Amino acid sequence: MDRNQISKWIKSPVKMGHKYSLHAVYFCTGCGIIEIPPSITARWDAERFGVIPVATSRQANLFLITGYVSLKTLKAIIRTYEQMAEPKFTVGFGSCPINGGMYWDSYNTIKHLDKYIPVDGWIAGCMPRPEAIFVAVTHLWTLIDREMADGYKRYRKNYKFYRSNQEKLYGKLEWPPLFQKDGAK
Amino acid sequence: MALKLLLTLIIALVTGLFFLGLSRKMIARIQWRYGPPLIQPLIDIIKLLSQKSMTHGGLFNFGLVLSLAGSVILLLFIPLGEWCIMNKSGGLLVIIYLMLLAPFGTALSSGAAANPNASIGISRKLLMALAYEVPLLLILLTLMTYYNTISISGIIVKQQNAGWSLTILPLLLSGIAYILILPAVLGIRPFAIVKAPQEIASGPSVEYSGKFLAFAEIQHAFQTYITIALFVNLFLGGASNPGYFFLKMLVVFVAGILIHTVFPRFRIEQAIKYLWRWPALLALAGLAVVVILDKI
Repeated sequence: MDRNQISKWIKSPVKMGHKYSLHAVYFCTGCGIIEIPPSITARWDAERFGVIPVATSRQANLFLITGYVSLKTLKAIIRTYEQMAEPKFTVGFGSCPINGGMYWDSYNTIKHLDKYIPVDGWIAGCMPRPEAIFVAVTHLWTLIDREMADGYKRYRKNYKFYRSNQEKLYGKLEWPPLFQKDGAK
Repeated sequence: MALKLLLTLIIALVTGLFFLGLSRKMIARIQWRYGPPLIQPLIDIIKLLSQKSMTHGGLFNFGLVLSLAGSVILLLFIPLGEWCIMNKSGGLLVIIYLMLLAPFGTALSSGAAANPNASIGISRKLLMALAYEVPLLLILLTLMTYYNTISISGIIVKQQNAGWSLTILPLLLSGIAYILILPAVLGIRPFAIVKAPQEIASGPSVEYSGKFLAFAEIQHAFQTYITIALFVNLFLGGASNPGYFFLKMLVVFVAGILIHTVFPRFRIEQAIKYLWRWPALLALAGLAVVVILDKI
């Protein structure tokens, strides 16, 4: 922790808490997860940035989507995202969640993740190196500082849009809507 | 009195959180990592308290409050140096009674969430409590018999005349037994079976989010402080001033963390077999020695 950040800590401890304590949920999709073990262990050590993996979605506030998202996985992703406590941040990792990547013509992967859940930032590349995760984390800090990491607010505001996209994919969903109407508090 | 109470809570919280932060930093350094800042548990608690959390009903809230209250009550009976709030009453008997309140409260709380992982975690937590309570009761009984008092402050005063309990020959077996069960009471490896993130998704705290997890974390900090302080008071002679007391606690905790970092985890039945065999037998032998010496 820098000494010149003490004034920031005094001004808004909550925001600094959200910045420096990012608990990432263990959720492994696709091949990008192979970059996570080196980044949380001795070689690249994510814990010095305050990023640690936690076992359940209830305790987490950072969601890394690491790789292509198949139709079956997306269901689990949506449920996990809805279980996380607000404020929560999502980062798409690799080129597959951005636009399909090398699975652009596949029949059972989705092409644009941000149609189904809100995404706060992307890490491009196939695959991104572990350093890219830390660049993404520092970018996320900047976004939180400027209150631009507002994916969870967008999810509340445009819930009808996201829900209708999800239902277009699956027909009827097995779980009830998280919010009754758009802009719910 | 109220000020004294508040001060005790703050000292216990700060010390406990410092220990948790120190353990994370030490584990990181032993694994050749840089590690988080020392105040990382405090940052986590600030974040968790500001999150929007979700409850599973009245029992879920009540159980967590009960476990926190159990730890807070225990704090009143633990002397810090020569300074103890409930000096005149209770002592070791109260500690024997209230030691189970914290695991019981956690069990109530996460039982209300009806998560299968939480159920496995609870059963493990209560089994572990049962496993380490047997040797612990025998050890406390030995101390009460030897020193002829149930007051912790009384035991500290007697140790200041006769030397640490650990160096008194008839109490040596009980001391060794206490050292053997200390990792189990602290919940660190090789006894970290309750909170097994890889296996049962962090066990009893699987459904805790936001504020609930923050309170669970605070309770954990209190529990760490109580366990180590009790050991220092009973076997390492307490201390006449708080600084010396914290130094002794630090030595005990660092030794525990070194064990925690290099050892793998027991399974639950292995842990119970171990705890009911070696520490329990040693404690029983220690009790027999003290009783026989008392008769002679």
